[in-house]
Amino acid sequence: MTKDVTTEVMIGNYAIARGLVEAGLELAAAYPGTPSSEIIPGIIEFNRREKGNIHAEWSVNERCALEAAFGAASAGKKAACMMKQVGLNVAFPPLLKARRKRLKGALVIVSCDDPGPQSSQTEQDTRLLATLFGIPVFDPASPKEASDVAYTALKYSAEKHIPVILRSTHRVSHAREAVQLYSPGVRPVLPMENVSAPNVMPDTSYVPAKLGIIASGMSYSIVSDVISELGLETLVPVYKVIKMPQVKSSIPGQRLNGLEQQDENLEFDKFINNMDRILVIEETDSVLEALIDNGNKVYGRLNGYVPDAGELTYDIVRDVVERISADLEIRVSNKFMPDPLIDESLKGVQFPPRPPKLCAGCAHRASFFAMRQAFPKAIFPGDIGCYTLGISQGAVDTCLDMGSSVTMASGFYDTINQDGKSIPILASVGDSTFFHACLPPLYDAVKKQKRFVLVIMDNGTTAMTGMQPTPQTGIMADGTHGGQVLMENIIEGFGVAFLRILDPFDISHMINTIKEAEAYISKNNNGPAIIIARRECLLFSKEKYTGMFDRVAFEEECIGCKRCIKLLDCPAMFFIDEKHKISVDEGLCAECGTCSIACGIIRPEKKA
Amino acid sequence: MKLEIVCAGVGGRGVLLASTILIETAISNGHHALAADEYGMSQRGGSVVSLVKIGDFKSPLIGKENADILLAFEESEFYRNLGFLKKGGLAIVNTREDVLPAEIDNMLSTRNISYLPVKADNVAAEKNMLQASNMALLGFFSYLAVEPYNAQTIRQTIRERTRGKFLEKNLEVFDLGYAIAQDGNIRKP
Repeated sequence: MTKDVTTEVMIGNYAIARGLVEAGLELAAAYPGTPSSEIIPGIIEFNRREKGNIHAEWSVNERCALEAAFGAASAGKKAACMMKQVGLNVAFPPLLKARRKRLKGALVIVSCDDPGPQSSQTEQDTRLLATLFGIPVFDPASPKEASDVAYTALKYSAEKHIPVILRSTHRVSHAREAVQLYSPGVRPVLPMENVSAPNVMPDTSYVPAKLGIIASGMSYSIVSDVISELGLETLVPVYKVIKMPQVKSSIPGQRLNGLEQQDENLEFDKFINNMDRILVIEETDSVLEALIDNGNKVYGRLNGYVPDAGELTYDIVRDVVERISADLEIRVSNKFMPDPLIDESLKGVQFPPRPPKLCAGCAHRASFFAMRQAFPKAIFPGDIGCYTLGISQGAVDTCLDMGSSVTMASGFYDTINQDGKSIPILASVGDSTFFHACLPPLYDAVKKQKRFVLVIMDNGTTAMTGMQPTPQTGIMADGTHGGQVLMENIIEGFGVAFLRILDPFDISHMINTIKEAEAYISKNNNGPAIIIARRECLLFSKEKYTGMFDRVAFEEECIGCKRCIKLLDCPAMFFIDEKHKISVDEGLCAECGTCSIACGIIRPEKKA
Repeated sequence: MKLEIVCAGVGGRGVLLASTILIETAISNGHHALAADEYGMSQRGGSVVSLVKIGDFKSPLIGKENADILLAFEESEFYRNLGFLKKGGLAIVNTREDVLPAEIDNMLSTRNISYLPVKADNVAAEKNMLQASNMALLGFFSYLAVEPYNAQTIRQTIRERTRGKFLEKNLEVFDLGYAIAQDGNIRKP
């Protein structure tokens, strides 16, 4: 096709970026969120290589991202925005209106789902929302396909003048594969782009069979490998959906935008008609399953054959296919029989569990310790970020959605106050989340004098998603300088009367300040009070502050009370049962000194 | 040809670099390959698993008892992930222990799994490259010459993937890992 085709191993998110850049993208805006965060850096990288003129930015939240991209698309540009699945909720108001607007340019909304969920508060299926509201949605099954689909989606949007959604999942976004790089504008298009032909890709012929499987996204890829492992290739055809089929009967409340007659689902219907039974494997909701207008024929979530929550792993898919094959008397030539000997042999072996923990040396750990020490019986509304892990230190009680620390603290305050009680409320939120979602809630709390203490854990970056710059840094997505917005100026502007900025590693000062804040609120009948605990993320700036304290000689003086483990949950500390003492992993310890303050016995010297 | 490899270790110990070298070596030798990484929330010292599948596969995910090879960069992660290994598979494990617990040893021999321990931390320390135990393990693995991997093909990718002063040091650790397998007269599977 073209002389200069090269390949490069990349993750799915870079492949999406590549496809968009090749399709002529002109503007991209996103808020970082796992598993979508690497698309903007990918766009910036490929734009640099192509010496292009794409504007790419981090927005303060997903709604801003979608509106900026929609603005550009309305004005004739090819635009895209990116977010994780729960971010799409934040962008919901503009999405619902934008879907019915005829675009002069093009708009692809990339929404990355998180089956499991692995790194989100809820599972959520972008395809469900898109299908419900008649927005075309594409669902690639691999990194390689993701680049083709991203390319096709932007072209499709430009041709049809409507916004479209590209949904990925973490398994596609973070898988790695060799992807072909073309010059802009010449990538061979997928069959589905030809909208008069099938909008879905049949994997095998339509020979009538006892069982046919319909799958989309990574679930399709797993099904294919499972079918091949079990030796069912010639018996069970698999149908891959790349672009979700159209809704036939009208869903109550649904109005298609009227601008586009969606594609016919002829091939899809034909496949279904040719099979005695259909198994639908999809993540994470029942969308294709609900669209198949023949309930009795279908195996899926609704009749309990597919688990209704959680990731559809290789093992789960293999189990489902085997079970249904057995039901239908389809001969599985290479049946999987789990060997009980493996689990049996592991029973006597001890190895450390490794649940998610704040990093050794994380300043959030010191903040949570101080909060808990100041008011052990407080109510602790938490928020979304690394610091949700403060739950293991007993200093996070809630995790609802972005910004809910402030609004839930308000609700708790009124609840307690209404009942004539007084319980301290210590809320916590990170800096990026503060800018993303806390400003209207905070303004509301100030206006109504809600009495709670808010600790803003300002580590100078969006740590959990990979160190994207926050509005305070004045650094743009491509590393250039822009305007800087400081949170203390906003807080002062709102008229918050009690504001302190401190270093969380000065733990006794932080404990005293939290007590002072609570006393101020009670005395003045006024709130909220705010403490900014400011300390750069250890991973972001590790050279700058490791080794503040001499390594503590726990092994000698430890009395085995485990207080430090309970209060800090630090990954560098282990309890050695035989010795009945704490041991420190020197490779992980950052010498932050927090444990020495949590320990009532051992006091190290501060380094000169 | 089909090959399924599980790389397991803890964050910050080079598991992802090792799996990157494996997938790129396979691709530059003309194979289709896919990789999937599993790592939790940003955390140093957390479990990291990286799956590499080479050949005619569509998904990068590996089912229980399907992996041909388990490369464990940390002993605890060997136990956590040994359920991936198929009968007749191969485990190369960075460990300081000379003997396995008896139950594990029995299970591995019943399942005909080759277990090859390597003191990769010591190998890396010998070259003053504490963080490079992954290279020692890869060097050891390369001696077994499991298609498409051998010392030459993996070395070539390391050359492309590592830059500056660490390149030569990494290769020294790699070569030492290879030499240990060679001296130990490790049986090729």
